[in-house]
Amino acid sequence: MSFVPATLFALLTRVCAGIGAALFVAAGAMLTYEVVARYFFTAPTIWAAELSQLCLIWGTLLSMAYVLAHGRHIAVDAVAGRLPYAVRRVTETLALGVVAVFSGFVVWYGSKIFWDSFERGRTTGSMLDLPSWLAELPVPVGFAVLGIQAVLSMRNAWAGRFLTAGHGEGEA
Amino acid sequence: MTVVLILMALFGLLLLRVPVAFALGGLGLGLLLAGGFSPLMAPQAVFSTLDGFILLAVPLFLLMSNVLLKGGVGADLFAAVQAWVGHWPGGLAVATILSCAIFAAISGSSVATAATIGTVAIPEMISRGYRKDFVYGLLAAGGTLGILIPPSIPMIVYGFITEESVIALFLAGIGPGLLLTALFVAFAMVHARFLGGQEKMPAATWPERLRASRRALPSLALAALVIWGIYSGAFTPTEAAAIGFAAAIVITGFILRTLTWRAFREAAMEAMLTTVAILLIIAGAKIFGKAITLYRIPQEISAFISQTIETGAVFIIVVAVVLLIMGLVFEALSMVLIMTPVLLPAAMGLGFDPIWFGIFMVVMVECALITPPVGLNLYVIQAVARARMGEVARGVLPFLVLMLLTAAALFFVPDIALYIPFKL
Repeated sequence: MSFVPATLFALLTRVCAGIGAALFVAAGAMLTYEVVARYFFTAPTIWAAELSQLCLIWGTLLSMAYVLAHGRHIAVDAVAGRLPYAVRRVTETLALGVVAVFSGFVVWYGSKIFWDSFERGRTTGSMLDLPSWLAELPVPVGFAVLGIQAVLSMRNAWAGRFLTAGHGEGEA
Repeated sequence: MTVVLILMALFGLLLLRVPVAFALGGLGLGLLLAGGFSPLMAPQAVFSTLDGFILLAVPLFLLMSNVLLKGGVGADLFAAVQAWVGHWPGGLAVATILSCAIFAAISGSSVATAATIGTVAIPEMISRGYRKDFVYGLLAAGGTLGILIPPSIPMIVYGFITEESVIALFLAGIGPGLLLTALFVAFAMVHARFLGGQEKMPAATWPERLRASRRALPSLALAALVIWGIYSGAFTPTEAAAIGFAAAIVITGFILRTLTWRAFREAAMEAMLTTVAILLIIAGAKIFGKAITLYRIPQEISAFISQTIETGAVFIIVVAVVLLIMGLVFEALSMVLIMTPVLLPAAMGLGFDPIWFGIFMVVMVECALITPPVGLNLYVIQAVARARMGEVARGVLPFLVLMLLTAAALFFVPDIALYIPFKL
């Protein structure tokens, strides 16, 4: 694989992550508006809960690859971090391989779910009655991007560039 | 036998350093395929996790606390509390614990609490002659208040997977949170009286107190608003998180004027990173949970426990020991997610209240996180203070004892947790 596509892909995941973060902020804005509308104008919205949920779904799934690339998925470092380089190269590559294979399966089965809803024109049956696939599509899309990232990271790990330890700052 | 094999596979994947989310999800999917169950359950579990309204509270609480952090609220809080109690015996230590407790009410994470308050409190205390190991232990322990005093991300997660009320869990955390705060404060004062070598601080003057308080007041009001809103039912935990986030922007952006656009963007990215990591673990745990339920594993473990363990006390001790051991390698959320589906059926069979059990798990998980030689909160303090692990570990021991005592008290007097949600 040449250098340019990998850089472009890094840009893509970065943009996706930025969108993800913006979607979470948007969800906060919508729900704040909902509470204000309910208490001050006695006019609850029919869209805030549903759209903010979509923000969570899209935001999370779009950002997964970026989170992987930055070594921020929580992992157990107690053993792997102490392995000698030669062994670690293998374990790290294998570990990322698990992520890639899992992503592949989720893309495959997730697409089936999406396609089924899309073809049958299924809707959520809620107030907004949005098409169901709107919330199902990001599952295969997000995992496809994640899968590609995992394969790229495997290549890096094999070359000795490991994802840094995942003691995420804010996790519980 | 299957149980042992599955557990070995899980630990193998985890030790290989497969991220927890994908170790759980991947193994779950593998089990579904091997057992001839529909693998469609895997994407469905991902989807249904993210479709949970309560989990929307996770990014929003994280946004709230990250915005406050970037706005420098930690230092303001500490300064204000210090102005009031700094001249007490062990005053700075007391101020540190109280700041942790207050910050816990605006943050759902013990790591964030320990790191935020630690950054300001550690240099201050050490420059005033407090013993280093004591300071580190104090902070590691103070951080644990972060997930006991609501809001609390592990409690949101526990509520989500057990379908228990997150509001009840939040309220049930208040009692034990206050008890621990009181114990820590008492210990800090006793320690200062008999073992401390710290200099005594002069009492702040009233104008100083008022000035310091004025800067901390908006954050205090925010903490009160969030807890009041959830308690009174004015808004759901998710809405409380959204309101808290909006209020955090108003406070740091417009009242204190400490939040820059750049800092806001950093806060949003940081919240996103943590959220994604957390939500994917939940999704992975959901796939794993589905698979092991289809293999009837929780049922078997539950049956095994009820055959071999006769009293609640023994069961609770076993749970405590298992969690302490798991704390050697796992962080809080993974422990809650892996152990709850396995343990809760057995706990309920023995007559434990699921809300109480959730609180007990949180306390024990926190103990696990500060139990030397390995624990996430120990690493945080070590990193913040650039300290040696030995000092952190030594300092944390008395606090660990206090926390284990609290866990025991919780067992003998369940109302410490259950009084506020159910009897008040």
